[in-house]
Amino acid sequence: MNKLEKARLEVREMDDLAAGNSPVHGMTPLSKLFVTVLYIVTVVSFHKYDITGLFAAVLIPFIGYQIASVPVRTCFRKLRHVLPLVAFVGLLNPLFDKSIQMVIGNVRVSGGVLSMLTLMMKGVFCLMASFLLAATTSIEEICAGLRKLHVPKILTSLLLLTFRYVGLLLSEAADMTEAYSLRAPGQKGVRVEAWGSFLGQLLLRSMDRAEELYNSMLLRGYNGEFYYAKKREYGRYSWPAALITAACTVLMRFVNVPAWISHVIGGF
Amino acid sequence: MLKFENVTYTYPGGETVLNGLSFEICAGECVGLIGANGVGKSTLMKAALGLVSARGTITVGENGNPSEAGNAVSKALVMNAENLPAIRRMLGYLLQDSDSQMFMPTVLEDMIFGPMNYGMPRAEAEKKADEVLERLGLQYLKTRQNHRMSGGEKRMAAIAVLLAMEPSMLLMDEPSASLDPKNRRKLIRLLKELPGTKLISSHDLDMVLETCERVLILKDGQIVADGPAGEILRNQTLLEENDLELPFCLQIQG
Repeated sequence: MNKLEKARLEVREMDDLAAGNSPVHGMTPLSKLFVTVLYIVTVVSFHKYDITGLFAAVLIPFIGYQIASVPVRTCFRKLRHVLPLVAFVGLLNPLFDKSIQMVIGNVRVSGGVLSMLTLMMKGVFCLMASFLLAATTSIEEICAGLRKLHVPKILTSLLLLTFRYVGLLLSEAADMTEAYSLRAPGQKGVRVEAWGSFLGQLLLRSMDRAEELYNSMLLRGYNGEFYYAKKREYGRYSWPAALITAACTVLMRFVNVPAWISHVIGGF
Repeated sequence: MLKFENVTYTYPGGETVLNGLSFEICAGECVGLIGANGVGKSTLMKAALGLVSARGTITVGENGNPSEAGNAVSKALVMNAENLPAIRRMLGYLLQDSDSQMFMPTVLEDMIFGPMNYGMPRAEAEKKADEVLERLGLQYLKTRQNHRMSGGEKRMAAIAVLLAMEPSMLLMDEPSASLDPKNRRKLIRLLKELPGTKLISSHDLDMVLETCERVLILKDGQIVADGPAGEILRNQTLLEENDLELPFCLQIQG
């Protein structure tokens, strides 16, 4: 199995994850969307030096992963290509902001280092939350939730088709790479000279397939709405659970939980 | 009922693939559409579904109750933008490539996609899907992920998806492609049992001979032969003129 085929199967795995049966899967897509967006906005709003307050923010997605029975390592495995980009954000901050903001023992920590760490943490936490939403909600349910928020059909259809198109693109690329490697033994990857025609063919072939797929949807009455996305029954606990999570998120923003715990336990 | 009157379609590149083509398929008929590769069989089907904009008149009729309407057609719609949704509701199209047909995560979800889009409640759509799967002996595929099926299973599941829509007329593009002999036999039995109008495009002339009462041969954008399957598929000269061969079963009989 080549790398592209593996990547295609990984995309498909998201459907497997979303087909789970945990309490988080049973929540309405709109309630999950609400909590995720609120969480992301809250995390992003932390001050660039508020690293201790930010530590508590990991608890919410972490608990979500446990309830949803989605291993945290799955998130990091699937996002391994994005995480270095997140880590790269703020890498230059220590060079520009050298004011001392914190002293740990004898180590003086500059504002640049703190802001770099908080930026990385914010990125990772937001990715974790988004992944939890995607892993517990099918793409159709997410689109249905967005439609309820009156997001235009054109955008939700675009989101749905993009998700499906990635699979098609990878599938076509996997087939073409396999065919190429069979006729180019001993070569690693596709030769630079062949990239142009390879990419051109890939685009044309995947566009044809995407068009077929869209036609197939149209022929079965698809008109931009997601009537079929609703599960048999969503848990009645959806909104209460979402509101409790939202309250915890907001509380975590205004109360520095680690500082409070150290105050209560250690008296600092 | 499906009626083409002087239908012409030219690809954007300039190649005319359907050239003033006319024919009619009456309600309840099972018709085979044959021809060499690239003669436009799939394009003809796409024109019937309004997926390509062909010139000429295409009329699609719904099977009616003969005792009420006096004949087998109760409603006939001419292809235009206004009638397109209703026409597509009447026609069930089996694509050549099952991977393009099945886009939902599981077979069941694919089967209820269409009926729910047309307003059927989920419980009813699931019940209908169960009935179809049972009829085809495919219950074991119900919750199977689409990407975890073999080519043959995908083909049978795609047919199940079509039948769950309860179309008035089936348009099938190479239905027996990628099926093993057992599943092919099952498909032939199913096609014989299924009521309603069917247009089957295929290179599997043995299957066409077994399932269709009438055959159309397409060449140079026109219907060059139209008649009973038994006659056309036994006419070796006619078949060879159109780059086809006698069905295998007739070749053996000599």
